[in-house]
Amino acid sequence: MNDAERPIAPPKSQLAYWIFQLTGWGAYSLSRFFGGVSVMNLPWVHFGLQLLLVDALGFWLSHLLRDYVRRHQWRALPIRKLSLRIVAAAIVCGIPLGILTQFTDVALLQDPNQLLEGVSSALRFQLALPVAIALQIVNWSVVFLIWLTLYFTALAVREHRSAQLRQSELARALHLAELRLLKSQLNPHFLFNALNTVRSLIADDPARAQNAVTHLANTLRYTLNSRQDELVTLSQEMDIVADYLELESMRCEDRLRIEKQVPAEAAGVRIPVMLLQTLVENAIKHGIAELPAGGVLRISAAVKDDMLNLEVENPRSAAPTNAAHESVGLRNARDRLRLLFGARASLDLDLSRPAVATARLRIPLQL
Amino acid sequence: MKAMIIDDEPPARRELRRLLDEFAWVEIVGEAGNVDQADEMITSLTPELLFLDIQMPGGTGFDLLTRLEDVPQVIFTTAYDQHAVRAFEVDALDYLLKPIDPARLTEALSRARSVNAARTPHPGAVLEQIFVRDGDRCWFVPLREVRLLTSEGNYIRLSWGKEKPLLGRALAALEQRLDPNRFFRANRRQIINLDFIESVDLGVNGRLHAQLRDGAEVEISRRQARLFKTKMSI
Repeated sequence: MNDAERPIAPPKSQLAYWIFQLTGWGAYSLSRFFGGVSVMNLPWVHFGLQLLLVDALGFWLSHLLRDYVRRHQWRALPIRKLSLRIVAAAIVCGIPLGILTQFTDVALLQDPNQLLEGVSSALRFQLALPVAIALQIVNWSVVFLIWLTLYFTALAVREHRSAQLRQSELARALHLAELRLLKSQLNPHFLFNALNTVRSLIADDPARAQNAVTHLANTLRYTLNSRQDELVTLSQEMDIVADYLELESMRCEDRLRIEKQVPAEAAGVRIPVMLLQTLVENAIKHGIAELPAGGVLRISAAVKDDMLNLEVENPRSAAPTNAAHESVGLRNARDRLRLLFGARASLDLDLSRPAVATARLRIPLQL
Repeated sequence: MKAMIIDDEPPARRELRRLLDEFAWVEIVGEAGNVDQADEMITSLTPELLFLDIQMPGGTGFDLLTRLEDVPQVIFTTAYDQHAVRAFEVDALDYLLKPIDPARLTEALSRARSVNAARTPHPGAVLEQIFVRDGDRCWFVPLREVRLLTSEGNYIRLSWGKEKPLLGRALAALEQRLDPNRFFRANRRQIINLDFIESVDLGVNGRLHAQLRDGAEVEISRRQARLFKTKMSI
């Protein structure tokens, strides 16, 4: 793997590594130095020299080891494989250090002129050479085992923390998306126009104003609840469409005329919530609202061959001004249909007749 | 002050009319429910102030303004299009959010009244301000602040402040409506605002050149040079 592919650690974790590496090795060397000098009575200059030599090698080896481990992506390994490799790596690093320690011991400390006394120094030099080397190797392997364990623990802790951070960011993004969806469903343009109508009706016709508030409340409640139920019956959806149309006709007055035809057998069919409502809103926004004289909005339903056929028909102006918006609303509706029914449902906007737009929705009776 | 209400929703028009009852000095000369109707009525009724909705059948409030030759003062009324109004570069206009807050209406009206009082009463033909839409941006341009009008085919490039918007009219047609005391036809393609002339020099070709305050140089055609000298008394 070349340099470009190597994962680059952020500067903060680089700094943390160097701090841990230096303090770790420093503390280890110093404790052995003072232990050796005070407890075992080793000559401090020679012993210090030996430690400097051996521990510098240890320091360097552990740094190489980190490089190797990073380059070969050990942290991505499953725990079993990782443990085996850690043990193997500890032994591989322990061998040269164990040998070096043994021979520097002999060269620097087993000086016949230096009278070494006491049990510990006696033990240190009275073992057979292979045993002494083996002991040193084991000793160093354990040191590297500890080093590697600490290193991977630190990595795991850091990864856990950043995973938590990602999780909370993800949650935030989800909330934002939900909020945007809710806002688009609430349709602020409709909401504020409706409120303005209510304000006007309070003076003109208080009884109608009261009705308008009820219709508005129903519409808002339905929109807010629509996030919980994905499917509703056609008659439930028609109720809310009626509330919505009531408000729109108060707003547009005689410009909006409505014809509805929903047979009894279609009323109980389950359809995606807010889907018919979206089609009706589109029919007004891009059709009737664009026409100075207004027109007739037709909603009709029929059940045939285990399918529900819904039609929303509206007059449209010859030169639609909001063609781009229209496709967004329809695309969202199509996406929802595909997620729920796959290829069995369909939604088409028929613009083949001049000055008329017909949205045709086909939904299977069974999910 | 003669005002007109332009909104496609009858309840909204009634509501605004009721709110305006409080202001005896505002006379509502007419109501329109779409752009075509409004265009005709404005031409015949010559209101000084428009209450203008943005979303309407058959065209937006902005479409109406671009169609008008002479643009009166405008207060936009909108349910949720304030971002569209904020797209304006100049706050030479006001907007009210529906349902309209009576206190905000009072503020907007008093501002409109003071602007109206500051306008020099030009009876008849002279244009005060025009509405310009160039791409996504729109401006209300007070003509007295325009330094230079340059013909570009059927369009006019206006040099105004830091902007150079393109206006969709022919220079010859607009010229009829410009204040003759302020604007001067320098050559076949350009009209200059005399208020913005910094200096006048004789060019190498023996023609007069007017240097405007922003550094632009405009050549005065031979035909117009004499008239120009009299006008500038040089």
